[in-house]
Amino acid sequence: MLSDLAESRATGALKAGRSGTVYLSKGRICYVECARTPSVEELLTASGRLTLTGVRTARQTAAATADGGDMLVRRGVLSRGELQLCVLGATLDASFFLFGATVPKPKFREGDRHWLGIHWFFDVPGLFRECHRRRARLDRAWPSAELDSRPVVPVRRIRSHHVVLTALQWEILLNADAETTPAELAKRIGRPAYTTLLAVREMAAAGLLECPGPPPPPEKPPDLPKRVAGSAPRAMPGDGGGRRAQSSYPEISGDPTDVNLLIRLRNALEAFQ
Amino acid sequence: MIGIEDCLSEAMAIPGALGAILVDHTSGTALAMEGLPDPERSAVGLSETFRATLDGLALSSPDGTVRIDDLIITTDHGYQLIKPMETMWDGPLLICVRLDRDRANLALARRRLDSISHELIAS
Repeated sequence: MLSDLAESRATGALKAGRSGTVYLSKGRICYVECARTPSVEELLTASGRLTLTGVRTARQTAAATADGGDMLVRRGVLSRGELQLCVLGATLDASFFLFGATVPKPKFREGDRHWLGIHWFFDVPGLFRECHRRRARLDRAWPSAELDSRPVVPVRRIRSHHVVLTALQWEILLNADAETTPAELAKRIGRPAYTTLLAVREMAAAGLLECPGPPPPPEKPPDLPKRVAGSAPRAMPGDGGGRRAQSSYPEISGDPTDVNLLIRLRNALEAFQ
Repeated sequence: MIGIEDCLSEAMAIPGALGAILVDHTSGTALAMEGLPDPERSAVGLSETFRATLDGLALSSPDGTVRIDDLIITTDHGYQLIKPMETMWDGPLLICVRLDRDRANLALARRRLDSISHELIAS
C-alpha cells in the first residue's frame, strides 16, 4: 500500500489505527509516528526543550498552517539542524517498529499534514532498506528477541572484573527497575527505542542482564574436512591460533580458511597419486 | 545556523576534502553523505572506529571515562577527521571528513569542522 501511494505521488497521512501514522508528501515519506517509539514531541519534552503545555500550545497554533517546526526554530527552541536531526531520528525509529509490527488495516487521508511541517524526506525503498539493516544489526548484537519485550533486569553480580559502558547503557541501568521494558525505558529517558533496544541486547551479550533462557549458542566454527588415515594433525580454528600442533609441523596460522584450503589441496593431490 | 545539507556542503568546502558523511553513532546509520562510493559501509566502519577508540581509551586512561573532542587519523593517502557532536536526545552524531594529504591543511580543517558542528547543533 505504501509503495502504491509513493508511486502515485500521494500527499496525506496513512493511519494504522492507534499503532502509528506515516505522513507522505508527493510520494515521499516526510514523517512517521509509532505508538511504541518516542515522537518528536516526546523527545523535545524529555530533553527539557519544551514543556507539555508548550508542545500543546505550539501544536494548536500551527495546526492550520502546518509550519510548527519553523515556528519552534524562530522562537529559538532548537536550531534548524537539530529540528532536522530530531525529525530524521524519530522517523527512522518509528519506521523500524511500525513496519515490523502487525497493524490494523491502514486508512489513507488525502491532504493530512503533520503540525511540524516538512523537514526531511525519505524515499520508500530507502527507508525499508534502512529498517532491514537495523534488524540485522540488532541480531548481530544478540540473536534473540526474548529480551525485547521483557522488563530489563541487571544482574546483581557480574562475572568479569571490568566492564566498559556507553553513556546510554549507563542511563538504562540506572533506570532499570526490573519492571520496565526497553520500549518504556526509551520513553522515560527520552531516547530512541531502537538504540535503547540495541544497547539492551549488547548488555545481554556482555552478561550484564538477567536472561530467562540460556544464551543462544555461539555460531559453530565451520567443520573441517574429514581426516583420512595418515593425514596430518588437525588444527581447530580459533583455539589459540599459533599453538604448535606437533613439533615437526610449522605453526598454524590464525586464519581457518587457510588451513581448510591447504587440507583440501593436499587431499586432492593425494587422490591424484 | 545551518541545516544538514549545508553542514555537508560546508564540510566538502574544506580545502582538500574528498568526502564527507554524517553518521548516527549508536545505530550506525548514514544520515547524509557526499563524495563516498558506499556510504552504508563507511557509516558502519567509521562508527566502529569511533567506538573502538572510546573503549580503548576508557580502558587505558587513568580516570576511566573519556570524552573525545575529535579524532585525527593519518593514513598513507590522507587524513580522516571524525568529530562527535552531542544532541539532546541521542548519542553522538559523527561528522567525518576524508582529506587529501597533499592539499589539506589539518589545523584549518579541524577549526572549520569545529565551527560547522557548532552551527548545526547551535542552541
